[in-house]
Amino acid sequence: MDIEEVKERAGPREFSPADDLPEEYRKAATRMIEFHANSEIMGAYLERPFIRQAPSIDRKLAFSAKVQDEIGHGQLLYRAAETLGVKTREEMLDDLANGKGKFLNCFHYPMTEYVETPMVAFFVDGAAMRRQATLRRTSWEPYAHAMDKVCFEEGFHVKHGEDILRTLMNGSRKEQQLTQEAFEEWWPRIIQFFGPTDDKSTHHDFAASVGLKQKSNDELRQAFLDQYVPKARKYGLEIPDYPRIHKNDEGRWVVEEDDLDWDEFFTIAKNEYEPGVGQIDGRKHAQEAVQWVRDTIEADNVPAGGQPPQAAD
Amino acid sequence: MIWEVFRQEENGEYHTHCGNVHAPDREMAKQFAAIQHGRRKPTNSLWVVPKEEVGEIDSDDVTFGGTTDKGYRWTMTYNLQTDQAEEVVESESEQEQADKQRGEA
Ligand SMILES: [Fe+2]
Ligand SMILES: [Fe+2]
Repeated sequence: MDIEEVKERAGPREFSPADDLPEEYRKAATRMIEFHANSEIMGAYLERPFIRQAPSIDRKLAFSAKVQDEIGHGQLLYRAAETLGVKTREEMLDDLANGKGKFLNCFHYPMTEYVETPMVAFFVDGAAMRRQATLRRTSWEPYAHAMDKVCFEEGFHVKHGEDILRTLMNGSRKEQQLTQEAFEEWWPRIIQFFGPTDDKSTHHDFAASVGLKQKSNDELRQAFLDQYVPKARKYGLEIPDYPRIHKNDEGRWVVEEDDLDWDEFFTIAKNEYEPGVGQIDGRKHAQEAVQWVRDTIEADNVPAGGQPPQAAD
Repeated sequence: MIWEVFRQEENGEYHTHCGNVHAPDREMAKQFAAIQHGRRKPTNSLWVVPKEEVGEIDSDDVTFGGTTDKGYRWTMTYNLQTDQAEEVVESESEQEQADKQRGEA
């Protein structure tokens, strides 16, 4: 199939591994899905400490379930990317460990305080879900199928995140104040989740023309702000003065792009932002620390018999 | 030789198991599958898989999940009484459906 035919046929779930697709399509799809997979993994590592740090047993359980889900999303997505035949799963994991794999800007920032968790679990997951829901109609069928399962699970993440925010904003004045501060710190990063405006985005045109991407950055940012600004306000969060955002006469959100730190954004995009580098290395160490588990499994000398396996709920 | 058959009704949907055929090799299995399973019902694609290549684990071998109360991982647990984004609503209805099926199983 040549690229013209791909563009002509590009519809939801149109292409599968049975199709002979041009390299340009396969590379673009790989870049997009690998980025998504890496983001799931790096996000999970960011939230993992809160399995311990969360203040109640219910929250700890929910965080452990959520982290398990996110790692699972990463696994599903590496599979969907691998079937394109451009990169193997091993290559993608190695690239991530070695600081070559790219992932979402938000997950380059450290998250150390519990009051920060809804910024990721509610706002970033909420933003991610806006995008993921549209990707159930992407043209690469294995990607769309992965999104079916991801979206099935994500509703819990977003509502759990909202529940934490609700609790904090109904807590002591101190909690409310710390939550507001965390919000102010994370808000610009969350706005940048959708990347620069469409005229500055380099990959969108092609990805959209072959049906990989279903909505542009701008459309997704609008949909996100429509849904989540009122939510933030409902819980008593004040939207920071900067970046300046407002609704125009047509009811569309206008973000003053110049109020956002694009130097930082593009430093992050190159994996050169300092805290992010630490997080990449942290994950690399975690991966190396459990190398013996993979070795044991692959050595094929696991003793037979023993306990029957217990499936996870 | 027995070949398990998976049918996909429309492009982009899942291949789901629909039966099996008896055939001496893969080529014949594909033809038989097309005749037996692709004729009456809408079919976009079929997979044939040698039966002995299918691994199975059932409820005699293992205790499957889903029986312990893990309410904390279901959307329905978080009763927020706020408007949810449409994709969150959709996720919740899919989870309710799955929860109902679990109850019936
Ligand atoms: Fe996820
Ligand atoms: Fe999530």
